Amino acid sequence: MKRLKTIENFFATLSQSITKYPIVPFIIFGLLIASIGFLPHTGLMRWGTMGVFAYIVIFSVVAMGLNLLLGFSGLISLGTAGFVGAGALGLGVFINLGLPFEIAAVLVLVIAGGMGALIGLFSLKVEGIYLAIATLFVGEILRQIYTQVEIFGGQAIRIGAIRFFGFIELSMINQLQRSFLFLMITIMMVLMMIVMHNIVKSKTGRALMAMSRSQHAAQAMGISLLKYRLTAFILATLFATFGGIMYGLYYQNVPTTAWTLDLSLFVIAMVVVGGLKSIFGTFLGVFIIHGIPNLWLKNYFGDISYIFSGILIILVIIFYPYGFVYIWYDLKRLYYKYRQHLSKKKVTSDE
Amino acid sequence: MTDLLRLLFNSLETGSVYALAALGIVLIFRTSRTTNFAQGMIGTFNAYIAAFLMLRYGFSIWLVALAALITAFATGIIIDTFIIRPAAKVSPISKQIITLGIIMVIIGILPWFFGVDAMTLPRFIPSSYSVTILGADLRYNTIFVIVLSTLLMAAMFWFIQYTKWGLATRVTASDETTSKLMGVPTKTVTMVSWATAAMLGTLAALFVAPRISVFANMLLTVQISAFFAGTLGGFSTFFGPVVGAFIISFGRNFTQFYISDIWGNVLVYTSILVFLYFKPYGIFGKKPTKKV
Repeated sequence: MKRLKTIENFFATLSQSITKYPIVPFIIFGLLIASIGFLPHTGLMRWGTMGVFAYIVIFSVVAMGLNLLLGFSGLISLGTAGFVGAGALGLGVFINLGLPFEIAAVLVLVIAGGMGALIGLFSLKVEGIYLAIATLFVGEILRQIYTQVEIFGGQAIRIGAIRFFGFIELSMINQLQRSFLFLMITIMMVLMMIVMHNIVKSKTGRALMAMSRSQHAAQAMGISLLKYRLTAFILATLFATFGGIMYGLYYQNVPTTAWTLDLSLFVIAMVVVGGLKSIFGTFLGVFIIHGIPNLWLKNYFGDISYIFSGILIILVIIFYPYGFVYIWYDLKRLYYKYRQHLSKKKVTSDE
Repeated sequence: MTDLLRLLFNSLETGSVYALAALGIVLIFRTSRTTNFAQGMIGTFNAYIAAFLMLRYGFSIWLVALAALITAFATGIIIDTFIIRPAAKVSPISKQIITLGIIMVIIGILPWFFGVDAMTLPRFIPSSYSVTILGADLRYNTIFVIVLSTLLMAAMFWFIQYTKWGLATRVTASDETTSKLMGVPTKTVTMVSWATAAMLGTLAALFVAPRISVFANMLLTVQISAFFAGTLGGFSTFFGPVVGAFIISFGRNFTQFYISDIWGNVLVYTSILVFLYFKPYGIFGKKPTKKV
């Protein structure tokens, strides 16, 4: 009993300090993930595992953007893959044109943000499944352009070593440099998590939330639909494009055919399975959808592993419709039940 | 003139295939309130069964097609009973992701059951039987596909519009809770809708299979076009998507031939997007009335 009390006190102080410094958990989490980048050097982890984690880190950012749209604003997009592709391929094209990395990244973000704004304007007119399929149109148009326009180089676009600030050159091929690239994308992810946290807790986040519950009520409270729908779509495309830039940065060789409807659906699955409206839940979702099959299931079952991932998705959605991260509340409830059970026992023994 | 006729026949054939797939999607959208992304995959799975039976036992195409339609009916019922019904309470978006789960399960099953080699299915009527009109070849098979799809769709519209079960389907589509209260067996309606949709998807797969071969992503284009057709025609009617399917198939074939191979699709998609901006619920769609 006493030990339980101390644990509880510990958690209470922890949650207090978290409310005081909300950034701390993200940084701790980032440090944990960053350590994965250096474990393969010690031989404790295979290089392939690090590659899987890089993918998870990159798609966490993408999925967070979609979570802003799906979880906080109640809007859906089937064009996410197109924008990730825009980030990765656009970066490649601009770097191959001779622009420095930083300028290329900013240019890509500006262009994609513009497209996001257009979709946002469009979303004012169209809703529900029609909006979803309208975004699918955009995704398909982008995919056609990637695979058929020559500037994207046919099968894949090679970026090669990336030069930061004009003097630090990091290449995927060198193992040590690859670790630093992993560190870079982890830092980017943590930054995006903090940005997302701030957006969600700000006036914008509350407005988006109000809009997702009821458009009309939100409008009556003086929330401009035009402004916040645009914001939601621009933010989501910016996150997706940023994820694409991270993809180009880490893998340095970007396929043109990978940005299909399937990938967009997977990103939605990551958000839904992991946890709507939850930042860590998003990461958990990416881990479940991409990490578990690639780290374990594929080794044992090969191609059949898809069956297990499919069943996993179906089961999680049936039992945790708001996301697997909410299992935390069930665990908490179980714990309190257990504690009550203990205290009852104590009373009976006193008698 | 020859080119024009060839394009016309071709568009009619692909349009019929798109229309079948779109009809399946709309049926499920109306009765289960979910966008079924697995529509193509379910069709593919049953096309695999057909191709496998043909390869293994040498049955004729007509027989294996019949077998595939029966298994399709069963697949639809199994999916509805074991996956969709337990998830009746989850939100529409989560339901869509459940259909993604179904896609993944089927992708896993395919190599396990049927091996990794691509298989083929022949045409219903061999391509040697054809007639030449003004220099353009018209296969009897093409006529068969067009006529069968048209008859099938006409039968379905008649069924939905004029029979008791069709009425049950329509009321389930418009308000499931109320129709349940009125004694409509909504569970059976939903189940049969899934089965019918699976059969429509399978037919689309069997019609497409001879042109490409039987492989996991064979229906990808068909399915995406079917979604587009649904949006263009409007999901609130059953015949809107069929019209949309033919518009998309014609638009795509003609722009690809007369304008450019690369930009044909992009052009068609962009013009549909612009059209949707002015008419957000499709050609025949109505704005859903919402009570606050």
